[in-house]
Amino acid sequence: MDAQSSFHFETLLIHGGLEPGPAGATTVPIVQSSSFAHATAEDLEDIFRGRKAGQIYTRLNNPTTDSLEKRLALLEGGVAAVATASGMAAISTAVLTILRSGDEILSSSSLFGGTYSLFHDTLANYGILSRFVDPTDLAAFRAAVSPATRLIFVETIGNPKMDVPDIAALAAIAREGGIPLMLDATVSTPYLARGRDLGADLVIHSTSKYINGTGSTIGGAIIDNGTFDWKSPLYPHFELYAKKYRQFAFTARLRKLMHKDLGACPAPMNSFLLTEGIETLALRMDRHCTNALALARFLQTHPKVAWVNYPGLEDSSFHDVATRQFGNRYGGLLTFGLYSQVEAFRLINALKLARNLANIGDAKTLVIHPASTICVDYPLEQRLLLGVSDELVRVSVGLEHEKDIIGDFSQALEAL
Amino acid sequence: MQLTVNGKPESIESKDSLNITALLEELKVKDALYVTVELNGEILERENFDNTTVKNGDSLEFLYFMGGGR
Ligand SMILES: Cc1ncc(COP(=O)(O)O)c(C=O)c1O
Repeated sequence: MDAQSSFHFETLLIHGGLEPGPAGATTVPIVQSSSFAHATAEDLEDIFRGRKAGQIYTRLNNPTTDSLEKRLALLEGGVAAVATASGMAAISTAVLTILRSGDEILSSSSLFGGTYSLFHDTLANYGILSRFVDPTDLAAFRAAVSPATRLIFVETIGNPKMDVPDIAALAAIAREGGIPLMLDATVSTPYLARGRDLGADLVIHSTSKYINGTGSTIGGAIIDNGTFDWKSPLYPHFELYAKKYRQFAFTARLRKLMHKDLGACPAPMNSFLLTEGIETLALRMDRHCTNALALARFLQTHPKVAWVNYPGLEDSSFHDVATRQFGNRYGGLLTFGLYSQVEAFRLINALKLARNLANIGDAKTLVIHPASTICVDYPLEQRLLLGVSDELVRVSVGLEHEKDIIGDFSQALEAL
Repeated sequence: MQLTVNGKPESIESKDSLNITALLEELKVKDALYVTVELNGEILERENFDNTTVKNGDSLEFLYFMGGGR
């Protein structure tokens, strides 16, 4: 395995964690088995005790999922990865591994709606409170660290706010406070930047998006960079894990408790589909990026468009930080404003190619009106905190020919 | 010297005592960089591998953190 870490990213996308399959198969075998039999009682005891490696039960581990996890760990440069049933399962499991009642999350206010709901509503019911602060206001972010803060959570590119925080600066704040930084890198993917290089201790992906790339599969992943010192007195519940498993302390606790207990494991079939999808991530992201920039430039000059938010545009206030952080690539997601919700609806209804649905990262171009869908349960004030105004349309720019994508938006805008 | 390793008897003919680092080598323990060592039920800190010696009758467990990227 370790010999592979010298390969380039594009090579790891295809070969990372891939072992020769039965009869010379070149894809990852789908091991559709709930449980795994072992020859003797002693063998199974040894596996349960951790004396030797082996599969136990698909809720805990599975050979197909293991292959995906190895590839993700290699791609991110982490010490371990855990694949989950969805991105929300990844966030829930990872966060609950760290936090106890009375602990606080210092979270970016610019979040995916589901994550906001988990932090703001669900976790609050169990005594875990979250402070939501603009991640691009570093002074405010630093000032919001409290004695109860046990986790800093940020998205690399806020979905759908499209703001780009300076992750390295936020990582420095986390280090100062002796608190781990968990980064949701779903929108940027490991291709634009590895969380580890930006100073994140833990990285989350909704693999449903760009890692799958075809809109066929729901999945999530947690990558442990092994960088946080869990011996800290702020985390007494990690003491034994830190002593026993050192740089694997987080993943060991996650696997032995939350992941086992919550049980949000991926189906082997989905792990297989994700190992297939991820192979072309680099190629696809390049095309997503160029198509998104072309559409952003088109929309920016269109008289019926009020504003466009895409970090690849030179006049975006996030252009410089995004350029530095993501190496001149800005992802496939953009938002733009019309002059009212009525116009936003009319535009969406007039589009012929772009699909109106709740997802991102598909090969197909997708649109949604977040205020009336993903954020429909939130009052205006909370929606604005998440960057969701009534006239905003989100576009996940697909892999079609750039002229067809622009043509679709052009005809829909003409029809307004 | 006679040891119990992962629940099974293990005899080391040549030596009467060994430090943990040398023992890991002697027993060709897999992925020694990642292994957790328990000596008579106590977890050993990695820093103490060189200055902790095992003697006749000691019981050891070599444990691994499983799965996901290793
Ligand atoms: C940034 C981000 N994080 C997390 C999620 C949740 O992932 P999933 O839908 O796979 O549960 C999503 C999308 O839904 C997302 O866009």
